[in-house]
Amino acid sequence: MRKFLLLMLPSLFVACSISEQGKQVQESQEVANEYPARVGDLSFDADLDDPNFEVCNNHVFQYYYGGKGLQYKGEKAAIIQHFESLMQGGAIASLVGFVTVRFVVNCKGKTGRFRVQQMDKDYNEASLDSSLVSTIVEKVKALDDWEVKKVRDQSIDYYQYLTFKISNQNILEIMP
Amino acid sequence: MKYLLLLLSAIHFLNLMGQPNCNTFEGDCKKACEIATKPAGGQGSRSSQIKFDRALELCPDGLAYAYMQKAVPYLKRGDFITWKQLIDRAVAIDPLGQLGYRGWCRFQFLRDYQAAIDDLQQLEKLMPGNIGYSQNGDYHLKTAMALCYKQLGILDSAILILENHTSAKSYEPWAYEFLHLGVIYLEANKVDQAILALKKQLDANDYLAETYYYLALAYQQKQSDLLYKENMLRAKDFYNDGKMLFDVYTTMVDAIDLTQIESHTNSWTN
Repeated sequence: MRKFLLLMLPSLFVACSISEQGKQVQESQEVANEYPARVGDLSFDADLDDPNFEVCNNHVFQYYYGGKGLQYKGEKAAIIQHFESLMQGGAIASLVGFVTVRFVVNCKGKTGRFRVQQMDKDYNEASLDSSLVSTIVEKVKALDDWEVKKVRDQSIDYYQYLTFKISNQNILEIMP
Repeated sequence: MKYLLLLLSAIHFLNLMGQPNCNTFEGDCKKACEIATKPAGGQGSRSSQIKFDRALELCPDGLAYAYMQKAVPYLKRGDFITWKQLIDRAVAIDPLGQLGYRGWCRFQFLRDYQAAIDDLQQLEKLMPGNIGYSQNGDYHLKTAMALCYKQLGILDSAILILENHTSAKSYEPWAYEFLHLGVIYLEANKVDQAILALKKQLDANDYLAETYYYLALAYQQKQSDLLYKENMLRAKDFYNDGKMLFDVYTTMVDAIDLTQIESHTNSWTN
């Protein structure tokens, strides 16, 4: 019996070790599943997204790739002008929160896969004025002069975001 | 001696912001630090985020660096809720090393002026003297604080901070102080002081369209038509040569765009 146990010990050790490795692999896969391939990736969602919007390449870059930052015809001034009707009045002190709209600009300068994040002034998830938020989102969707970014002469798809500092009624500032 | 102090100050600051020296940690936190500082995929990649999680499992309350680094891609990509949750953990562990960074980011990415001021003032209480520089290296944090007051419309405080900062014995010219001081004077209707400050900016760094643009506005207010037009045209030339305030992530305070210049130049020809 003792001999048997001694013979079995290495097997038990290997079995435990394999089980431990298996557990680690399983845990690793569980953790991996919490993250997209890259932070901020936006996958196509049939319930939300326009099926006619397509990205041209497998990889979607970030807006800062290539070192040119925000690229919109007429620059930031054109974006501010687009939202001008929502930017009347409102002191900075009346900040109530932030609305961020993230989206993809494809290789043709078209936009899609819009996602919205709303947070209060302490950066907690929040529901802000729904009418103002939906107006902002519709107006973001209507921005149609995004520059086509290029990498080594090839047009790329890229993620862009716009964040709106808002008061109860108005946009106070637009970032980035 | 002055330069030695500046060098020591810069080294101190870089130590606060850069990769930690893992030998200063012990036990699990040392292992965690070694994991966190090893390369593992690009910033924001799944493997990189998992690496920081592994490190934080080992040392959940002692490694601010891992929280801060894990937070960075959320900041750059517009998920400010997640960023804030993570950066708050970093600040709680290491306020001295992280408050300036959090304050700067709130200013740069969210234009959350009051929150940025609160962070920077808290840092000043912990670290009297040189509170350090912005993450992108472009600003002393005192200048960032002054810009926050400017944006809140509290011009007296903005001027006081920048005047004290630029006249301190330890002051070393940085990239844009006098440009912003000039703009603040202009907003406060102190036109002569604005011109002096903007000229100082030109002496220090003559590579920004903005300096000429605001100088032109100052001369316009003084009804010096020739100098107004001359400087505005130079602003246009500089702008078209790509010489302007620029940051790859965000639009900088007091940055101009071509339409602002052309709203002047086009009116001359009409």
